[in-house]
Amino acid sequence: MSKVMTMREAIAEHVHDGDFLFIGGYVCRTPFAAIHEIIRQGKKDLTVTRSNAADDFDMLIGAGAVKRFIATFLSLGVYGLGRCFRRSLEKGVPHKIEIEEYTNLSLPMMLMAGALGMPFIPVKDMVGSDLLQVKSFLGEGKYKVIESPFDGTPTLLVPALNPDVAIIHVQQADENGNAQVWGIEGDCKWGANAARKVIVSCERIVSREVIGKDPSRTIVPDFQVAAVVEEPFGAHPGYTPGFYDVDFMFGSLYQQASNSEEGFRAFLDEWVFGVEDRNAYIQHYIERFGYAQFRGLMAEFDYGYPVSYAY
Amino acid sequence: MNATETDYIKPELMACCGAREIRDGDLVIVGTGFPTVAANIARYTHAPNARMMQESGVYDAQPRRPALSVGDPCLNPGAAFIGSLIDVMGMFLQGCKVDVGFLSGSQVDKYGNINTTVIGDYERPKSRLPGSGGANPIGLLARRVLIIALHDKRRLAEKVDFITTPGYIDGPGSRAKWGLPEDQGPEVIITNKGVLRFDKESKEAYLESYHPDSSIEEILENTPWDLKVAEDVHETPQPTAEELRAIREIIDPMRMITIYLKRGYV
Repeated sequence: MSKVMTMREAIAEHVHDGDFLFIGGYVCRTPFAAIHEIIRQGKKDLTVTRSNAADDFDMLIGAGAVKRFIATFLSLGVYGLGRCFRRSLEKGVPHKIEIEEYTNLSLPMMLMAGALGMPFIPVKDMVGSDLLQVKSFLGEGKYKVIESPFDGTPTLLVPALNPDVAIIHVQQADENGNAQVWGIEGDCKWGANAARKVIVSCERIVSREVIGKDPSRTIVPDFQVAAVVEEPFGAHPGYTPGFYDVDFMFGSLYQQASNSEEGFRAFLDEWVFGVEDRNAYIQHYIERFGYAQFRGLMAEFDYGYPVSYAY
Repeated sequence: MNATETDYIKPELMACCGAREIRDGDLVIVGTGFPTVAANIARYTHAPNARMMQESGVYDAQPRRPALSVGDPCLNPGAAFIGSLIDVMGMFLQGCKVDVGFLSGSQVDKYGNINTTVIGDYERPKSRLPGSGGANPIGLLARRVLIIALHDKRRLAEKVDFITTPGYIDGPGSRAKWGLPEDQGPEVIITNKGVLRFDKESKEAYLESYHPDSSIEEILENTPWDLKVAEDVHETPQPTAEELRAIREIIDPMRMITIYLKRGYV
């Protein structure tokens, strides 16, 4: 049965106020079309997580959609600190989010533990740091220190995470949701498979036969997936390997806009509330900046050698 | 001995200081900016077999432009390995394969503890910073840690406001309490005024060398703790012509390193 639907349908049907969301991406394959739709539909009280959050999380926080953030990091990369993130934590604007902090080792391990059905997992980081001194909504459940039952050394345990929904953007998927990526993965595979259901946003929908020509690229199998949305250019202003580059001009535009509350609201009015879906967003982008700018982001082709799985 | 060059900018000298800490064959986990430039200088000069990885999942990338983040698209084509955070941070770093970690911090203290979380009180921050990201595990689990920092009484501290990434924590024995090897941890703090190295016994940073346009006095004045000075303290060796050629012709022909001048690395 096909799970193909529009982003509006996918978010309306599968993301609810108060849900715990894993949102994949690592500059690479940020599911921005979904982020914008979550904001357009006014979802709220979300708990969100992923390692190395960036402009997409900053925007969700600024839009007031986030209640809790299981975090490792949030910045705008070359554009510096996340403005909405800072306003929330420093000034309580639009409200102060609750933040539980881990690292880019422990958080992916917690998602992996969730995907593997384990209750918790030992990690070798965080010890000796003030990350152990600050506890938020997870309270005493943030971590435990035990003596290893094997050799008595102090061992840090962190809890498994099982998000309600994972949202990822991938290069291609079939209509049942077998999802394939290539290039930098971040914590996408473990985050998606830890979740109770997955929304797959993709650059293109391909046949089941195409998936079967290179099945080692599949990071999420169809039985985990609730919805498949074809969203070309869906990660912009992030990038998708083999499809388009990071849009540094737009990154700068967001940074400038988000410097002030008014600028941020105007940005949302233009790029989120002012367009009804990703197609309208692309059309607006081309009208605003010209087709040459849009075309300039598109990737060149440099195919690898085809692989053979034949026997 | 290579010819030295007097016509260089401070970020180039600092990158060279980082490069000189990297040994041939080292596995280096890098962020963007200084770490990548430094590791590449080493690779094009004395350490051709050093290899780099990025926490996002990449090993031995072959970028055709300077990467602007550890997730930059230019890291993809040509890499020897691309996986996930679990692969690089888990399998390689936590699996104790990484020789050198390269970090920068908004605030660094005399035991090499780094703060990238918050300036001021955690609950009521004066300035909220990005957080750990990969820094905490890199600082704890890489064999040798190199730190880049600006040299003034705000950026260097007797004690950081928040230990995001432990160096030697409270001094000798602190790492062992957590089951961490005592002989691993910060090696140097490379600043825009000099190079501070960590004493093997006291675990405290001392002045090893001052940059050509700085002095011991200037450094002592701008360090907020009673900085010890090495008996053989000396001027930092200037970049060699070979090092500068690697930076300007191979690694960074676009001169992106000059952005550090605007960030105060002068």
